Amino acid sequence: MRLAAVYYDGRNAKAHPVTLCLEGDKLLLQGKEIVRRDAISALEIQPPLGSTPRVVLFADGARCEVADNRGFAELFPGADSRVAVLENSWRWSGLALLLVLALAGAGYLWGLPYAAQRLAQRIPAELAASLDREVLADLDGKVFQTSRLSPDRRRGLEARVAELVLPDPAGRPGAIEFRFSAELGPNAFALPGGTVVVLDALVELAEDDQEIVAVLLHEMGHVAGRHALRQMLQASAVGLAMAWYIGDFSNMLAAAPALMLEARYSRDFERDADRFAAEALQANAIPPGRLADMLLKLETARQRGLDAKLGAGSDYLSSHPTSEERIQRLRSQ
Amino acid sequence: MAQHQAQPLHFSGSGSEYFRLWIVNVCLSIATLGIYSAWAKVRRNQYFYRHTRLAGAGFDYHGDPKAILKGRLVAFALFAAYTAASSFAPTAAAFILILIVTLAPWLLVRSLRFRLHNTSYRGLRFAFRGRIGPAYLVFLLWPLLAGLSLGLLWPFAQQRMAAYTRNNSAYGGAEFRFSAGAGAYYGIYLMTLMLGVVLFAGLMVLTSVLGSNGWFAVEEGQLTAMSLLLAALGTYLGLLLFAYPYVTARLQNLVWGSTTLGGHRFVANLSAYQLLGLMLSNVVLVVLTLGLYKPFADIRLARYRIEHLQVLVEGSMDDFVAGLQAGASAAGDEMAEMFDFDIAL
Repeated sequence: MRLAAVYYDGRNAKAHPVTLCLEGDKLLLQGKEIVRRDAISALEIQPPLGSTPRVVLFADGARCEVADNRGFAELFPGADSRVAVLENSWRWSGLALLLVLALAGAGYLWGLPYAAQRLAQRIPAELAASLDREVLADLDGKVFQTSRLSPDRRRGLEARVAELVLPDPAGRPGAIEFRFSAELGPNAFALPGGTVVVLDALVELAEDDQEIVAVLLHEMGHVAGRHALRQMLQASAVGLAMAWYIGDFSNMLAAAPALMLEARYSRDFERDADRFAAEALQANAIPPGRLADMLLKLETARQRGLDAKLGAGSDYLSSHPTSEERIQRLRSQ
Repeated sequence: MAQHQAQPLHFSGSGSEYFRLWIVNVCLSIATLGIYSAWAKVRRNQYFYRHTRLAGAGFDYHGDPKAILKGRLVAFALFAAYTAASSFAPTAAAFILILIVTLAPWLLVRSLRFRLHNTSYRGLRFAFRGRIGPAYLVFLLWPLLAGLSLGLLWPFAQQRMAAYTRNNSAYGGAEFRFSAGAGAYYGIYLMTLMLGVVLFAGLMVLTSVLGSNGWFAVEEGQLTAMSLLLAALGTYLGLLLFAYPYVTARLQNLVWGSTTLGGHRFVANLSAYQLLGLMLSNVVLVVLTLGLYKPFADIRLARYRIEHLQVLVEGSMDDFVAGLQAGASAAGDEMAEMFDFDIAL
């Protein structure tokens, strides 16, 4: 059997039309100006690659290309690599696709949160605390103003928190910061390094100190789980992966889906923080239902603020799980 | 002056064929904890190179996956050491960063050499013969100066880099030459700046007219400020979207238009609009398909870039082929000392 091929001698760019055939354990290459016999064991027969010509490399730098892939496979049976078999079959590559999707899904659902949790544990407290100072300094210039609560009131609340019995000492906040914000309404949140920020409007909205303590315990649940830090790590990992993957000039576009994907994590964190708060409330002889009452009030206030600002319909991006579900769980405890 | 004959480059790769290669690469890379990624890179490069055809012949890639793996391990080790140190030992991290920065030009030269030595066309290899000393000027000093000058010297630095890489590249016995001066680079960035200014002025006029006719709500006396804000925002978004494809297209056209190989010349005629449309639709499709469109996007972009490049062959095609010979030193000693290391990720 003779196979048409193109030969390059490696010293000149000229293409020589040649034919190939086997002579025992030798390959015979014949053309108008060239004849060569090489032991097959001395040749580098490259595995197939899609529809590209098959390539044989000679030890002296010469090369030979065969466009007839089927003919080549008949001449050199067994030169197919296993990888090439996978690449050329829709069935195997489809299986690879399913495997990759399953692995990517598992990595996102379990691997990433686990890695972020482990990493968050290793980040030194001073580093996280310095991060808090930066975040606060940044926010102070923009949305925060100094608290309008009396120093006595603030000290009283701080003392109340210091007295609390906690199920996990890691939940004790590094510091409690009081701020006033016209834009943010009644709110409280935990920063990555364990600082809890309380806005004046939240203190004013609460009926009594028990309700404030309930919300603060929820935030301390975030502190205990290092949720803010983990969330930050997860979001930056997803953002980085997207930016790298999409590449080119699309860093800005990559940020949007990363944000959407991250919304889900915080729901798990909210549930964790609720559980911590419920345990702590019981330990301090406050009914967990007080947190539910406060959540309801916050939700109403937030809804009012949202309706006024944006109109409804942005609920999909909300980082809080549907409050009804949380309220029911808290009331049942 | 000999006559030049245009020889377009063709790209025969297909998205569906490359998709299978790509997904098998991804799957095996994950399954082997990244080790296969070096072999994957060779398969991918071979796919793109062999489908790139000029005058009836394809290119080829010969990189040794083990060398690529070695390069990746070194890069990963440096990066991991830096990341770990930066959170626990800032002094050590600074030291590692300095080490990375000082090593970078040397590594870049090594990988340029690796890439070009491992690229062939018609059985002849390309080569890179840049020396290390000038590489430190080009890849370290100039970018540093460009940074210190707040980017004012960046086009200059870019011109130095292109001149260094092209002037030290060869195909067989023929050497590449690069003739563009820094002025041409400044021209491209000035045009981008002009586009921004024109866009800003246009938006300014538009918003002023619309605002004064009550198209959007604005308080008395605030119209200028509001128009300024809207125009600045629009210009920012416009440049963010358009500047990258514009600069990419113009730079590629400039670089190829100023490159010669012996008596042969090159012409690239990429259009910024087409490139923008291509990149934008690629990003949208990649996002919508959760990343599965990526191999198709890669193929589309490669096809566009390759098929908008032509070689202007001096004399006849037969003369062209007959004139291409292996370099005197290409086969012997240089190959022997060829450093098998590729840092490029």
